[in-house]
Amino acid sequence: MTPTPAWLYYFFAIAMLAVAAYGLVLLAVSVAIRRSAGWDVDIAHVFMGVSMAGMFVTGWAFGPSAIWELIFTVLLIWFLVQSVQSVITFGIHLTHYLIHAAMSFAMLLMYVFPAGASSGAMSMSMASSSSARIDPGLSLLLAFVFFASAIFTLASPVKGVSHHGRHSRAYAMSGPAGGTVGTPNGPAPASAAGGALGLISAPWLEDASHVVMCVGMGFMLILMI
Amino acid sequence: MSVTEVRAGDAPAPVIDARGVTSSSVEQPRDLQRTFQLVLATVWLLDAVLQLQPFMFTRGSSGFSGMLNNLAAGNPGWVAHSITWNASNVYHNPVVSNTVFALVQFLIGFGIVWKRSLKAALALSVVWSLGVWWFGEGAGNIFHGAATPFGGGPGAVLIYALLAVLLWPSAGSDTPFVAARSVGMTAAKVIWAVVWGLLAILAVVGSGRSPQALHDLVAAYTGQPGWLAHIDRATASMFLHHGATAAILLAVVCVIVAIGVYLPPQFTKVTLVLGIVTFVFIWVATENFGGILAGGATDPNSGPPFIILALIYWPLTLARKAATSWPSNSTAQSNEALVR
Repeated sequence: MTPTPAWLYYFFAIAMLAVAAYGLVLLAVSVAIRRSAGWDVDIAHVFMGVSMAGMFVTGWAFGPSAIWELIFTVLLIWFLVQSVQSVITFGIHLTHYLIHAAMSFAMLLMYVFPAGASSGAMSMSMASSSSARIDPGLSLLLAFVFFASAIFTLASPVKGVSHHGRHSRAYAMSGPAGGTVGTPNGPAPASAAGGALGLISAPWLEDASHVVMCVGMGFMLILMI
Repeated sequence: MSVTEVRAGDAPAPVIDARGVTSSSVEQPRDLQRTFQLVLATVWLLDAVLQLQPFMFTRGSSGFSGMLNNLAAGNPGWVAHSITWNASNVYHNPVVSNTVFALVQFLIGFGIVWKRSLKAALALSVVWSLGVWWFGEGAGNIFHGAATPFGGGPGAVLIYALLAVLLWPSAGSDTPFVAARSVGMTAAKVIWAVVWGLLAILAVVGSGRSPQALHDLVAAYTGQPGWLAHIDRATASMFLHHGATAAILLAVVCVIVAIGVYLPPQFTKVTLVLGIVTFVFIWVATENFGGILAGGATDPNSGPPFIILALIYWPLTLARKAATSWPSNSTAQSNEALVR
């Protein structure tokens, strides 16, 4: 059952599906132009968007909970490994992989502890063997981290960081306020491709999808308290 | 490492080495005033999302209008009347009114993000905060002597308004702390002393020093997670037996923190840490994170805003002063030097 006002949950569900669809398009663009950066975030957004839509609107959920738990466990491990590799390569810094690891972790928690969602809009199909609920303090902490990520991503003078981090070539190419920077050898990032592909994979649009996902996921975590 | 090209602009440009690796983030100093503006925006975004909780759209005693109506109790007639009038409006249009309330807070949060709308968003936040303080917090219970800082007095949202003023965008200058950038050092210090002096007074007037009232304040919380309920029981018991002492101790701490900004920087830091620790304790043990963890809150109460307030008074080192003035001088100049 979707609580009132229903339009609010449909709104968030559609926004989540839009993020998932955009992630799919970005994946296709990455294949088309042989871009190697950011595809892992796109894949994560596809899964997160589809599953979050099912949480906001009961009828839109599908698939057994165990499969979703497996998917988000794999994503969590992937982003954690990428975080460690980034620190090893570039030294101690706040890598963008960490926020995606946190989001994967949050998704995993939502499936493992669905009991707290009784007051929210969680899908009945998510019910698992566990009746325990996620600790409200952890929910609040994760929600606050996601809101902070949304705000600081929007305010960043350099766009695309949420997808590519601060050390990738694609991030450098976007430049501050869309400025351009010379590039060393290697395939050109999509943002430099121009035309429709350039528009689709514009760094600010990638950031926007991250912001929408952060706000949607934060809202769901608040509902789970 | 060979630098290929750098673009100078209103923000530091990335620098790419031969591996195609950028390093601008490492070299870019952080504008502290901007950082705290964004932290404030994050709190507004949290408030906006909390406003979207299902019960906020409902009528009845457990709905939003019921919450507002309950705030009228104990206030003078004319104050209570204005609060019940507002609650009545919300009662008759719960979905529309709550949607508007949430949208305003989204507008403030995201408005602070864009520099073009920053001033308008901060101005809106001041007006909105004062309105919420009156109609949504019952004027912080200040009119009936129950505005103890242990319970969030004199009203968390007043501090939001104060933060908007103290974080008003202003050109970088050689100020000793972030809050001094907008209103000047003398005014900022006076504001600090007045705020903490007021807290000291509120801690010991009215029911603020009543052991039973303080006990009831904490004991009233229900639906908290187990670990927080355990802390509540300990706090409630402490208040019941030593409530008056706790109130006087809080007042003394507030006075020390109030005069702290007039002391040498090393002592100022100690008093600021004392203020932060005090409000971390209050936020956890007596405000219960604003009641958010019980699923029935619209904001995190006064803990976070007071902690942000203390941090913008933190004495800056010479290096940090240079950083807070970005992008007005040093970084832009160094970027231009790189381009040349």
